[in-house]
Amino acid sequence: MQTFHSIGTTTDWIVMVVYFIVIMLFGSYFGRYTKNTSDFFFGGRRFSWWLITMSIVATGVGSHSFVKYSAKGFEHGISSSMTYLNDWFFIPFFMFGWLPIIVYSKIRSIPEYFEKRFSPSARFLATILLLLYMIGYIGIGFLTLGKAVIPMLPEAFTVFGMTLPITLMGAIMVIAVITGIYITFGGQTAVIFTDLLQGFILLFAGLLLFFFGITYLGGFDLFWNLLPTEWKLPLADFNQPANFNFVGIFWQDAIAGSIGFLFMNQGLIMRFMACKNVNEGRKAAAVNILFVLPISAIVVGNAGWIGKAISVVSPDIVSPSVSPDQIFVVVANIIASPGMFGFIMAALTAALMSTVDTLINATAAIFINDVYRPVQKFVKRNVMSNNERDRKELLVARYASMGVTALGVLAVLAFKNFPTVYEAHGYFHSTLTPPLVVGIFLGVFWKRFTPAAVITTFVGGVALMILGARYPGILIAPFDHGIEMNPDHPYSYIRALYNTLVCTGAAVIVTLTTQWQRKIISTIRGKQNQKMIMNIMVAITIMVFAIVLFNVSMLSVQVFATIAVMILVPLTVTYYVKYDENLNTNGLTAGSINIARNLFKGGDPNDQEGETVLVYLKRVEGDETVVHFSNKDMAKMKAEVGDLVYISDKRKWMGGLKSIHSVFGEPHDEDGTVYITPDQTKHGLFVDGKILEAEKEM
Amino acid sequence: MNFSHTWLPFIYLYGLGGILFVSGIIITIKSGSFDLSRKAHKKWMWVLLFGFVWYLMMHALMTWAALDIISVYSVPIVLLGMVVVFIVVTLMLRKTGGA
Repeated sequence: MQTFHSIGTTTDWIVMVVYFIVIMLFGSYFGRYTKNTSDFFFGGRRFSWWLITMSIVATGVGSHSFVKYSAKGFEHGISSSMTYLNDWFFIPFFMFGWLPIIVYSKIRSIPEYFEKRFSPSARFLATILLLLYMIGYIGIGFLTLGKAVIPMLPEAFTVFGMTLPITLMGAIMVIAVITGIYITFGGQTAVIFTDLLQGFILLFAGLLLFFFGITYLGGFDLFWNLLPTEWKLPLADFNQPANFNFVGIFWQDAIAGSIGFLFMNQGLIMRFMACKNVNEGRKAAAVNILFVLPISAIVVGNAGWIGKAISVVSPDIVSPSVSPDQIFVVVANIIASPGMFGFIMAALTAALMSTVDTLINATAAIFINDVYRPVQKFVKRNVMSNNERDRKELLVARYASMGVTALGVLAVLAFKNFPTVYEAHGYFHSTLTPPLVVGIFLGVFWKRFTPAAVITTFVGGVALMILGARYPGILIAPFDHGIEMNPDHPYSYIRALYNTLVCTGAAVIVTLTTQWQRKIISTIRGKQNQKMIMNIMVAITIMVFAIVLFNVSMLSVQVFATIAVMILVPLTVTYYVKYDENLNTNGLTAGSINIARNLFKGGDPNDQEGETVLVYLKRVEGDETVVHFSNKDMAKMKAEVGDLVYISDKRKWMGGLKSIHSVFGEPHDEDGTVYITPDQTKHGLFVDGKILEAEKEM
Repeated sequence: MNFSHTWLPFIYLYGLGGILFVSGIIITIKSGSFDLSRKAHKKWMWVLLFGFVWYLMMHALMTWAALDIISVYSVPIVLLGMVVVFIVVTLMLRKTGGA
């Protein structure tokens, strides 16, 4: 396989450095509009759909997509776009299930949902799985960054007479250090605005590359006719080859990947939570998936398609044996002029860094929220003031970010031996998402789903997944749809089907046998030596799980051990976990969204559809929790005292940057004026004399 | 061209994907979170159904274009036409109080 080094010119490197500086300054400028990170992500709820839509582009497109989809475009043609065009099937579940729940229940992280919906132990296990998922994602990000940068670097450099070779892992370690510096200067609080700009730039850079490529080849007709028929098809062959087939990728990406991305990507969820209301979040998701993703599919894959066409017409310029993960850089260098190539590479690497930064900070946030604080609470070591605690948590968050970055670099080792980033990412998604995906999905849509079932999904499901990974030819093969097993990387994609099925199976069986578990536990509770029985049960559970985890004995013994895990875990959870189905599901399942809205508002929602009104602000001292409109304006909005209101600067292009949420207070008689306090004015970043727009929320 | 590379993936994608999509709509309606008595939610039903047909058409047109049954240039033309229909209908629903 042909690999490249020292691609690019000095001009390209200058353009890259300037680009990074401009992006950091842009982010820092908008960062000043925010009081703190927590307010920005969780309490702000201020932004319009279009702003969030564009900021999501950098999260979705920026993260490894250019490298991995160009690679598959080069190997297999336009079907590289299929993973971008299969996200619509779960959108009803997201728009009318998960999205309103995360907004109205005010959860700050996915593990927190597990605690509220199930139990602290479910939260603990969800935290472990989510941290593994996030760290793995960071590892994929670093691997892609390394693969993107390596072709631009020389094979070796000389310092003090010593020649040091540049290796992938060496480059990744340097990138990890630079990423840490980028976090410090770029600032997480400005990430939405940085991503907004980068979203536009990425789309522009990708489409520009396509235009240059088509021009280079002599027009679209020539390009299209150069591609063989099977390369023009939008979907891959049903079940071959093993490293890129439709059915495997359907289960890995359209099912596990789509639910994983929409339901458990903490970075993405933070974006939706920053929307001014649930409806704006729905608009952001709909526009992103319907219109931005198809454009993104062209943007991220076209370098591979162009590379393939060039390799057909001029194999001396682009050899068919070019390493697929390098094709993006190789093609960009051939068809873009010096400087422009630097711009494209800068857009790619900066977006990748932004994605990795977002993931590192989100992972650190999960660590603080779901590990550090619960542990502190458990050991009751909280004899300090709020300021002291904030300072301590900030310090711990910084250490956590460093630790997460280091673990992310280590995670690269698990993926670097895959032939392409695409396959590494596919394997990663197929393996790590199913337990959490099943846990969240059934938690939201099945009220009867119990803590015993979710914990068994996490433990028993994982045990079955380990068995599948260890004996793919026996356990995954029945589900392989005719895909040939590659012994080096068996069933990278279709394992998602097996993993999802075993996790769902564990969840459903345990839920449906809840009454039996309760009967058995009730009998045990009636015994005098109940504690001893339970201690023995826990010890046996750990022992049988260890048999599977550490690959002790033959397959039949491990299967028996897994069955034992599936029986003992639910019993143990039923004994130890206090759970009230009605209390624990209130406002946390799709069937109780109206209760969630009620809890969110603190009263009955007012769904009468009123008009928006334009008002000027008048500063008055008074209650910070309410704002006051005239009787007439409230009538126009069909609002009552106590309803929720959203006030924003009328200039739509600000995207809700200057806005507040509040509550309607007692009305006055000054039409076209809202009475708000100086603090509310400051919080909303409102300017005297500017027209404000007010709308009743509920 | 081989059926397993042309229409079998398409049928599998929109057959199984369609079952999941319709299940999502039915489950959210039954749970009450998707409430078609609310005008705003009726507009979302239009968006959801449009989205399904939009992607189905996109893949069908691209497959036909790849097989030289239609011109590749007709793909963006038809899709742009669909976007225009989407915008017009969405604006009409908004005017009638659906948004």
